[in-house]
Amino acid sequence: MDNTLLIGLSQQVASYNSMDVIANNLANVSTPGFRRESTKFEEYISRAQPGEGEKGPQSISLVQDAGTMRDMTGGRIEMTKAPYDIALNGKGYFVVQTANGPRYTRNGHFTLDSGGRLVTGDGDPVQGDGGDITVSPDDGIPHVAQDGTVTGLKGQLAKLQIVQFDSDTQLVKQGSSLFATTQPAQPATAATLEQGAIESSNVEPVIEISHMIEIMRAYQATAALTQSQEDLKRAAIDKIASTQN
Amino acid sequence: MRALSIAATGMQAQQTNVEVIANNLANMNTTGYKQQRAQFQDLLYQNIEQPGSQTSDSGTLLPSGIQLGAGVRTASVYRITTQGDLQSTSNPYDLAIQGEGYFRVTQPDGTDAFTRAGNFALSPSGQIVTDKGYVVAPGIAVPATATSVAINAQGQVQATIPTQSAPQTLGQLELDRFPNDSGLNAQGDNLFLETASSGAPQAGVPGAAGYGTIQQGYLETSNVNPVEEITSLITAQRAYEMNSKVVTAANEMLQTTNTMGSG
Repeated sequence: MDNTLLIGLSQQVASYNSMDVIANNLANVSTPGFRRESTKFEEYISRAQPGEGEKGPQSISLVQDAGTMRDMTGGRIEMTKAPYDIALNGKGYFVVQTANGPRYTRNGHFTLDSGGRLVTGDGDPVQGDGGDITVSPDDGIPHVAQDGTVTGLKGQLAKLQIVQFDSDTQLVKQGSSLFATTQPAQPATAATLEQGAIESSNVEPVIEISHMIEIMRAYQATAALTQSQEDLKRAAIDKIASTQN
Repeated sequence: MRALSIAATGMQAQQTNVEVIANNLANMNTTGYKQQRAQFQDLLYQNIEQPGSQTSDSGTLLPSGIQLGAGVRTASVYRITTQGDLQSTSNPYDLAIQGEGYFRVTQPDGTDAFTRAGNFALSPSGQIVTDKGYVVAPGIAVPATATSVAINAQGQVQATIPTQSAPQTLGQLELDRFPNDSGLNAQGDNLFLETASSGAPQAGVPGAAGYGTIQQGYLETSNVNPVEEITSLITAQRAYEMNSKVVTAANEMLQTTNTMGSG
């Protein structure tokens, strides 16, 4: 295949990936604590044979995926009035104990289980400074202070553990709004909590839709370029063939 | 192309969202109804390049890998069990719970169900029953001769009987509470059933620590806030539209692919 086709192909593969990332952002526009992602591309230089009339080694630039960047800015705080919905404002994560070890989340929709433990929507216990947090019916509806102190009718129950990491982008998404990492967790310094609210996703529909149109047009432009390259070749073959006759 | 199926998960999620909102609005005037809310989570990710993996022997790390998501799913539809407003009805058998707790009623099959809808009445035999005729625990019978019935905040039921000077105590209403009342299974007809996630019911006397009090002559209205619901409805509809735009765009890209090289 000739290089124009290959360059076009690399751009088209990249477009497909960008489109998938945008589709995922838009699908999660109502997922609490979701962080939008965007694709980043880089140039991949490939050596090419010199064409006719060209001297020395030539190079062509292909496009390749460099990474998915995660936008860690906060989402809007949405009031739900549910007593165990807790919005996290500022840098930090809740700690959740799962079967596969500790996981981190910003999705603050919690509930109690049959034993009164504070758990996520999937039933994994949310961690306080002293492990699981248990609310007994005698505590009434506990109050969650800005610093994470949970107080029931009979006094302080626990303090929600809020942690932060050196690098947010190195956290690996696990689905179910959970993140995993091998980095050591440090106590969060700048996070405040709000009870009865949830942090919505930080996806900005306008940005996503305009990116989507941009990608679609770029894809079509590359297809048109490939097409005209094809036409050029066909015309050349026709001309060469006709001169021989 | 994943974008098509990802957008489909998004449209499905928003459809669920609209259905939950529709149910809330339909039950705006249902006694004791609790607002529900759909909650979403992102689906599994495909790790093409793991963030934090080494890029060289000298220990340099990939700052941000390549993770492609697969869309969204409805994680749960949960109930927000805040107190509804109390509405005066002046019917002596309309009871509202102010605070925590549920009335326990016995279903025809003998099992217990729980409700906050206190629009009760008397059965032909004089027992306090729900509007479906199910007996309200612990089964209090009001004598036919009683001229009036008073139920106090602590759930004590007393009747005034013409031949007696002092009111006669008929019984004591009970309330049940749960470790996690949003885990109750909604049964329709304003009834809830105990589940493994709600925990076992704990019976108690109204007004005791951790239990609500009873208001005679009042009903608890639903806690649905129409303004909030309509706003959520608009948001859900727009989100649905955005996801359908992705389907259109992905389709257009595929069409372009199909027509490549056919000129």
